[in-house]
Amino acid sequence: MVDIEDLREKARETISRDDVRCVFGWKRGTYGYESAPAVVRKPEDADSLIFDATCVQNPASFVVLEEKLPVPRGKEPDTRKIAVFVKGCDSRAVVQHLVENAYLRENIVVLGIPCMGVIDRRKAEKLFGESLEPVEAECSGDKVALNFGGERKEVERSDVLSEKCLRCRYPNPILSDIMLGTEVEKRAEDEFADVSEFEKKSADEKWAFWEEQFSKCVRCYACRNVCPMCYCIDCVVTKLKPQWTRRSTDISENTVYHIQRAWHLAGRCIECMECERVCPMNIPIMTLNRKMTKEVREMFDHEPGVDPEAKPLLASYNPQDPEEYIL
Amino acid sequence: MESTRPKIGVYICHCGINIAGVVDVEAVTEYASKLPGVVVSRNYSYMCSDPGQTLIKDDIREKGLNRVIVASCSPRMHEPTFRKALAETGLNPYYLEMANIREQCSWVHEDKAKATEKAEKLVEAAVAKVLLLEALEEKEVDVTPACLVIGGGIAGIQAALDIAEAGFKVYLVEKTPSVGGHMAQLDKTFPTLDCSACILTPKMVDVANHPNIELMTYSQVESVEGYVGNFKATVRKKARYVDFDKCTGCGICAENCRLLNRIPSEFDEGIGMRSAIYLPFPQAVPAKYTIDPERCLQLTKGKCGKEGPACKASCQADAVNFDQKDELLEIDVGTIIVATGYDVFDAKRKHEYGYAENPNVMTGLEFERLVSASGPTGGKIIVGRDKKGEGGFEPKKIAFIHCVGSRDKSLGNEYCSRVCCMYLAKQAHLIKDKLPDAEVTVFYMDVRAFGKGFEEFYDRVRREGIRYIRGNPSEIYKKGDDHALIVKVEDTLLGTPMEYEADLVVLGVGLEPRQDVREIIDLFKLSQSTDGFFLEAHPKLRPVDTASDGIFLAGCCQGPKDIPDTVAQAKGAASSALTLIARGKVKVEAQVSAVNADECRGCGLCVEVCPFGAIELVETNRQGNIVNVASVNEALCKGCGSCASACLSGAIQPKSFKDEQILPQIAVLGVRTE
Repeated sequence: MVDIEDLREKARETISRDDVRCVFGWKRGTYGYESAPAVVRKPEDADSLIFDATCVQNPASFVVLEEKLPVPRGKEPDTRKIAVFVKGCDSRAVVQHLVENAYLRENIVVLGIPCMGVIDRRKAEKLFGESLEPVEAECSGDKVALNFGGERKEVERSDVLSEKCLRCRYPNPILSDIMLGTEVEKRAEDEFADVSEFEKKSADEKWAFWEEQFSKCVRCYACRNVCPMCYCIDCVVTKLKPQWTRRSTDISENTVYHIQRAWHLAGRCIECMECERVCPMNIPIMTLNRKMTKEVREMFDHEPGVDPEAKPLLASYNPQDPEEYIL
Repeated sequence: MESTRPKIGVYICHCGINIAGVVDVEAVTEYASKLPGVVVSRNYSYMCSDPGQTLIKDDIREKGLNRVIVASCSPRMHEPTFRKALAETGLNPYYLEMANIREQCSWVHEDKAKATEKAEKLVEAAVAKVLLLEALEEKEVDVTPACLVIGGGIAGIQAALDIAEAGFKVYLVEKTPSVGGHMAQLDKTFPTLDCSACILTPKMVDVANHPNIELMTYSQVESVEGYVGNFKATVRKKARYVDFDKCTGCGICAENCRLLNRIPSEFDEGIGMRSAIYLPFPQAVPAKYTIDPERCLQLTKGKCGKEGPACKASCQADAVNFDQKDELLEIDVGTIIVATGYDVFDAKRKHEYGYAENPNVMTGLEFERLVSASGPTGGKIIVGRDKKGEGGFEPKKIAFIHCVGSRDKSLGNEYCSRVCCMYLAKQAHLIKDKLPDAEVTVFYMDVRAFGKGFEEFYDRVRREGIRYIRGNPSEIYKKGDDHALIVKVEDTLLGTPMEYEADLVVLGVGLEPRQDVREIIDLFKLSQSTDGFFLEAHPKLRPVDTASDGIFLAGCCQGPKDIPDTVAQAKGAASSALTLIARGKVKVEAQVSAVNADECRGCGLCVEVCPFGAIELVETNRQGNIVNVASVNEALCKGCGSCASACLSGAIQPKSFKDEQILPQIAVLGVRTE
């Protein structure tokens, strides 16, 4: 459990430092089961910060997506550190960023929060319908308590928590400068049961499934934009020269887009599940990512985002690497 | 891209019947002539020949061609040929595109109609690409007139001498305290039976005295940076704990060392003993003593006897200095010759031959020291001596075993070590020479007497009464308490199993890559062939070159060799290194990778995957923000494209193989699914 006052105090202390530019965290949203991202730029901004089971967003994305604006002539670039609150899964994004030299360790301040799980909006809406009021949610043991403007409802953990939380192996941040609250216990192992189940389908069944899913895609690129690992300056899917995918939303181009996105995450996806969460068309994007994650772990014994000293998967070579996929 | 109208010439090569035998070259010529932008399309029997090239050059001059396509073989061999032809006419040589209709078409297909269709497609794809090619400039860099030779065996010595004789500076770096390498350990050399030391020591002395050679023994290369013509190497000169200038090589220190005759001598393959302060062998060059820091009592325990180190006390020149430190030296060279040699196969790995258990089973190299006049027994063949070097007996029945650790898939060494057949024949001869009554039997798989004078020598040895039995022993074990060893073997010519009793077994151990081969690979970015030895740039036409420009190979580090072959290769490597140094300038690859600094996100994946170490991250100012982006060292880049395949943003691309250049090419070849 994290004491909110402690959290706000830590944020206040951090933003008061001369060498910190901003703090990314969460604040209460205006409606529904998900909180809103918060940026703390001055000490009083910290008063609105919260942390509970509605804090589903991965703030690590903001660190890397923060646009580096042109510096006006005669002015110095702002090189102050960026501070960020992270849950266990979010911290894996920070680790992977460090592996990929997205920023230097000394340029960030990581505030770690042990996490017992966050709400899956879709699951909650199925149970309780949409909520026009901001909902508060608190995990305790196997239960999750939701607070609808004073009205308390308690449900089983598995009924409302995100799938990633039900198989979470890293509930505590892997890396942090400042730790809040007390460490929580890991509750699950990940045996890729979901992927194994999907793998049982025949090739035709799989294609039928994906054809239906990809046909729905409107190519809003929300999945790409929210992904902490998608931070190329000029994304290959929107490049014009050469144009790898056309902009039209048909099954062919959509398929290319989704395969490309999944391939670009090979050995990099840290399973924060943000892509699937933000998809307006409810495409099970994580199913592709999870398959890739399983392959990478089984073939190369590699797990991204757990060791800041590790080499990126695609940059490491071992003569013993399996090569069965080479025809 | 230039705005001038494209004028493409297409040249289809018959390659004798290599291409024309399968592909209808007339049809391809006709097909090509109708492609957009093509103004001339011809075929000829050998495009690479002088008349073939003239054909192209004349068309460029007369018809004003601005792009050329040659449809022939793989660009590996003849791209430089045709580029040169273009350059002679004043056209940028990088306006050439080759369509490989031999290796990728005629050689792999039998159906003539389909092969012809494929050849047409390949030419059409080349047309699609050739318009998008950019003119590239070949840059020249200066070559530092000096060469670094790594390894002071016969290969390194010969290469160093050749370059020094030509008048250029050579840095010869040797890991051990003396030059000489394995050749110095040998007694006689096959097939002429020259005394190895007699022919080698003059050369060893020469490298030490040559004004152009800076000999660095007991030294190792720590790091190498830079590129062809401009390498910067850091060499660690290990502390000898003996003042190099003061030491006279008198040897009184070694006589007085408390560990006198207590440490197995590396040079004598453990048969002889040395002190902790030592000269590896009497003819060592330089003749300066060295203290073994892993054995010396003073250096390992901090004290040596009650009176302190006797070596220091006894040295009249006051050369012993326990405070000496390693020195790091930086040297600038234009070329590098790697001549790091080999290790002999560790016979312990062949368990069934009982090398580890039986002192009377010895390796060929150990036998070499035993039989050598400068060896621990003074050349007397006495085995089974105790630790003090006393006792022992003269063997009466000696067995030699071929192919130990070579031609053996179960040990991972599939290759032939090329020297064992002959050195065993020589050793058998030496035994007959010294012990005429001994019974000598050689067990062989095949006898490969391929070199000059080898067969004659083998024949001579057989006629000396040495028995050759064809069979690969399955086991060697001790029988009873005496010296007898049993060699269990099947005589495969008679088809009978036999148990041969011998009192000395000599294993013809093969040659293996050095134990520390990995470090050298990392240092110089070399590649290995499947046998673990260093890979040459081309097995036939560039046998001393490596994939890294300016780095050459000599001797057994590239593969097992006998002395004449090693010397020949060393001279080849020296000549290649000299070519660059003597010219003083070298052209670097123009088809290199280029970074789009605006798109690079500085992840460094390209840096990690680059096999040539050509990319680094550098700080750059992007609209006032300081960011890291990749930067390519064009002198090191070979344009292999590994970086491009790793880059997620497509921010790094090899010139002439950019996405927008090869995608139209792929589009032409693409399978249409209607």
